[in-house]
Order: sequence, then structure tokens, then C-alpha cells
Amino acid sequence: MTRSPAFHVFRTAALLLALIFVLIPVLWMVSMAFKPIQEWSATGDLLTWWPRDPTLDNFRYIFGERTSELIVALERTAGRPILASLLSSVVGTAIAMLAGTAAAYGLSRFGSGRNLPLALIQLRLFPPLAVMIPVMVMWAYLDLIDTWWGLSLVYGIVTLPFAFWLMKTYFDDMPREIEEAALVEGCSRFRVLTRVTLPMMRGPLASSALLVFILNWSDYLIALMLTTREWVTIPVYMASLSSSMTGQLYGAKAALGLIAAVPPVILGIAIQKHLVRGLTFGALKQ
Amino acid sequence: MTSIHLSQIVKRFGDFTALQEMDLRIHDGEFIALLGPSGCGKSTTMNIIAGMEDPSEGRVMFGDRDVTALPMQKRGVGFVFQNYAIFTHMTVRENLAYGPRMHGAPRAEIERRVVEMADFLDLGAILDRPSAGLSVNILQRLAIGRSAIMEPAIFLLDEPLSNVDAAFRAVMRRELKSLQQRFEQTMVYVTHDQLEAMTMADRIAVMDHGVLQQVGTPLEVYNAPANLFVAQFLGAPGMNLLPGMLDGDGIVLEGGGRIALDDREVRTARRATGRDVVYGFRPEEARMGEDGVTRPVSFVERIGARTILHMEGGIKAVFENDVAVAEGRPVTLSPNPGAARIFDAGTGARLEG
Repeated sequence: MTRSPAFHVFRTAALLLALIFVLIPVLWMVSMAFKPIQEWSATGDLLTWWPRDPTLDNFRYIFGERTSELIVALERTAGRPILASLLSSVVGTAIAMLAGTAAAYGLSRFGSGRNLPLALIQLRLFPPLAVMIPVMVMWAYLDLIDTWWGLSLVYGIVTLPFAFWLMKTYFDDMPREIEEAALVEGCSRFRVLTRVTLPMMRGPLASSALLVFILNWSDYLIALMLTTREWVTIPVYMASLSSSMTGQLYGAKAALGLIAAVPPVILGIAIQKHLVRGLTFGALKQ
Repeated sequence: MTSIHLSQIVKRFGDFTALQEMDLRIHDGEFIALLGPSGCGKSTTMNIIAGMEDPSEGRVMFGDRDVTALPMQKRGVGFVFQNYAIFTHMTVRENLAYGPRMHGAPRAEIERRVVEMADFLDLGAILDRPSAGLSVNILQRLAIGRSAIMEPAIFLLDEPLSNVDAAFRAVMRRELKSLQQRFEQTMVYVTHDQLEAMTMADRIAVMDHGVLQQVGTPLEVYNAPANLFVAQFLGAPGMNLLPGMLDGDGIVLEGGGRIALDDREVRTARRATGRDVVYGFRPEEARMGEDGVTRPVSFVERIGARTILHMEGGIKAVFENDVAVAEGRPVTLSPNPGAARIFDAGTGARLEG
């Protein structure tokens, strides 16, 4: 099919617009992270696109080093929140993926737990705040407030539906003949799962885990309610980066934002092959 | 060693009866084809033999052993699926080695069997290739190899050739037959392709709507179809079936005309429950003559060596070479002597006399 030149012009324009929309905030953050205070604060009167005088001061600052311009010392440095975010997101993702995959497999193959899909989604039917306040009360009662395991557990629970629903569609799409073939050749159910099904599901598992991880990683509300000091996560910590003297510390926030973007980007690149390939069972006629 | 006996098998899915009192004995070392249109219950029959489905009623026997309650892992059958079911995360070698490895065969023995099977199926050159990107033809060959390497006494194949190239099918038909001759398994082969059934099977079991219609050698089901379904299902094109009414020593056809019967045929036709019968003859077993069925030609199909006449009323005739006929003009077909098959229109069964 040959397309008219107008189509190409329109398509290019639409793509450019979308790119601008997506990339400008990211570029703004990157540029701001390397700006000295005069260039990102309105008081400096020197707002620019690119840093005129690039510096790593913002990074030094959030890790506790004093710099000449940002004289206000931070009460806490970024190290601990980064650890908290990593720990709770990774453990939460592991919980969601383990439970979600097992539940999805059970339902998809044996029809066990038919009411599970709806039951799981109930948690998501309410506004998060409505759910989180009772959770906060329970967690306070159980002494789980401001602990990494308390936060991980909630992360695992609230992202479980995503892991479950994604893995269920993948299991449903996987032709049952593959497992039947393995069974007929004398393999036990459990070995079929560990030797055949899960290895074939590497791609789906990786892409679901990435999605769940990003959901946990970018959470603000839950961490805000369930952590107070010790185990505050990156988003909560970022919101606290301000002072009465300097106002919002945009440069520091941008530097932290840049650091926070690293794990999802690295993971995304690492499993890109699976994300692009999705679930193409090369050996099966669809 | 292993014959299969399906005894009074009934299979229901909810209100739908997929198999009705199926009774089938498959001899040891026999190549049997389950043939029928889609939805006839042939795959269900296969799944019941393999243990993937449980029969609602009836028993499955392997030899003298009742395996009805035995789960599929323990039946020791080989199964080849229509869509190959290759483990794509493994190489060709790992796929072939899968079964022996699961049964804990020693490493050297696995290696020996894999190489032997790869040689037999011409997979030697690609043993260490990942199985993901292989062509459908090779995948199906690999799937057959992966099942055959276990040397199962019973080998089940569910339309294994329906996804492979037409040209490759002829090769595979030969290979499957030689595979069976070599390992002497009992083979059950599900297909809707009568060519595959006719060329490979020792016996064919024709099925329709969950009912076993006829079991017999390829020539038996072709020459002596048990009923109207088998008559029209087998053969390309199927048998001409002309409903009519018995009238003295002939049949008055519904579409017009009268066919004279000889004495033996008259005796046969009289066995019908009523006067309504169906007169059948193969499109290959007729010539143009003076008396017989006269119908206008609606369409002439010339396919190289053969010419197929399509006549009004759905009657077809096949000639070895070109014939001088014009579309629209009436032609009279005379069935060859002995070609007539007479069916009871009420029961659909072929009458024998």
C-alpha cells in the first residue's frame, strides 16, 4: 500500500508531538539535576534550559555533603530511603509474583479458586486512601508501621492482582498440549511446572515482574502512610526535600529523581527482549 | 503386547454427548486410523486412550490391564499433537532427551538413543540448534521423535500432519509407516484426511457425531461402506446416493428416471424396512450409456488425468480421460455391473443380500 505524502507529514508531526510530551519533563529533570542553585531557583533569576555551569552539587547535597550554596544541612540523607525503596519494592514484587503466579496457574489449569479473580480485584475497586487507612490502623496494631517488612507485605498484597491477572492470561494462552506432552512422557505435575512451564514463561514472568516492580517503586501514598522515619522511601523522602529558607529544593529533587529512574530503566533494558517478544510461542501454530 | 480395547465408552460434556457407546478393539501392532469430520469424537476417543480425559462410562483396557483410572503419566503412551508441543526453551537434543531423562535413563544411554532417533528422522545436523526457530515441518518431525524415543507400546497421533506443508506430508506418511514397522507399536492415528487414513492404516474406524460407523480395512470401508455416511464420506468425490422407491425390479428415482436392478439387487433391495431405498454407486464406477440416470451436466471439471462431471442432483462421475460433453446437455450414466450399493433409506444402513 502506498501512502500519500500528507500521511507521512501527519505521522511525523504526531510522533514528534508525542515525543515532546513524553521527553521534555524527563529532559527538564536531567538538566535540573546538574544545575547550581542559581539556575533552578527563581531567586537566582538565571532560569535556563541547559545548565550553564554544570555541577554535581545536588547529588553531593542529598548524600549529606555540605555545599557552598545550599547551606541548610539535611536532617537525613538519601542513602537510607534508596535502601528502603529497593528493599520494599523487591520483596513486595517477590511476594506478588510468587503468590500471583501460583494462584494464576491453579486457576488456569485446575479451575481452583473460581472466585479469586474478583476477590483479588476488590482491593483495587476502592480509592487507595479508603483501603489504606484501615490497613494503617491494622499495621499500627501489629507493630508493622515504619518497618521494611510491613511495607513489603502491603506492596505484595496490593500488586498481587496485577501479577495474578497478567500471569493468568499468559497461562491461558499457553497451549495445554505442551504440558500434556510432558505429562504423557511420564513427568509429574510438579516437574512439568518447574521444568517446562516456568522456563517457557520466562518472558512473561520477567515482564510482569517489571510492571509490578515499577508499581511498587513509584508508590507514594502507601509509604507515606506506613512509614515515618527509618524506612521512608524515595518518593516520600523526595517530598520532604524543602526548607523554610530555600523553599522547594528542586535541584536536589531532580538529582534524586534521576537516581530513582535508574533501576526501572536498567531492568527495562535487561528484559527488553522479553517485553518486545511478548508471548510468541515460536513452536506453536496459533 | 499391547492391544487396546475400548469397552462401551460414553463421554459427555455437560448435555453434549461426544461419544456414544463406543466399542473398539485395536490389535497389537496395528496401525488404526480414526477418521471422521471435525467434531465427530475422534480426538475425544484419542484423549480417552491417552488418559487426558476420563470416560463418563465404560472401560479402557490395554491388553488385559484395565487402565481406566490410571493417570496419563503412568499409561506409558506416546502422544504427538497437532500443534507439535515442542518445548521451545530447549534445543533439539534436549527435546529428544526429555523423556528418557525424566525416566532417569543413564547419560550414555540417553545420548545413544538421541543420536539413533536423530539419524532415523534426519535431525542429526540440527541437534544443538534451539528448537524455537525451526520450520513447522521440522518441529513436527521433532515432536514425533520425542515421543518415539520412549519406544511406547502405544503411539497416539492427533492429526500430526495437518499443519505441515502438502509436499512434506507425502514424506511424513512414508516415515510414519516405516517408524511403525520398525518399532512395531500399536498406532492410533486421528485424521480427517482420508488419504492419510487410506495410505497408512491397517484398519480405519470411521466416526460421525460420536458414533462409530464402521471399522474395516481401507478397501473394506471403501468398497463395502456400512451406511450412507461412510459411503459419502469416503472417496473423492464421495459415492453418488440417489434416493428412490423400490418398484418391482427397479427403483424410481426421486429426481426422475428409473433404474433397473438385476435379480440379486432386487433381492437385496427387498430387505429394506420400507420401499424407500437409496441407490448408490461410486463416481468412478459408471460409464456413459443408453440406460441409467439421465441428468443435465452442470459443470465439467478437468484435472489433468481425470475429468469429473458434475450433474444436476449432485451426481458426479469420474472419467480417466477427457470426455466430449457439453455443459447444460443431458448425459446418461450407466453404473457398471456390480457397482450398485443399495441402502435402506429409513435406517441408512447398506443392505446386503
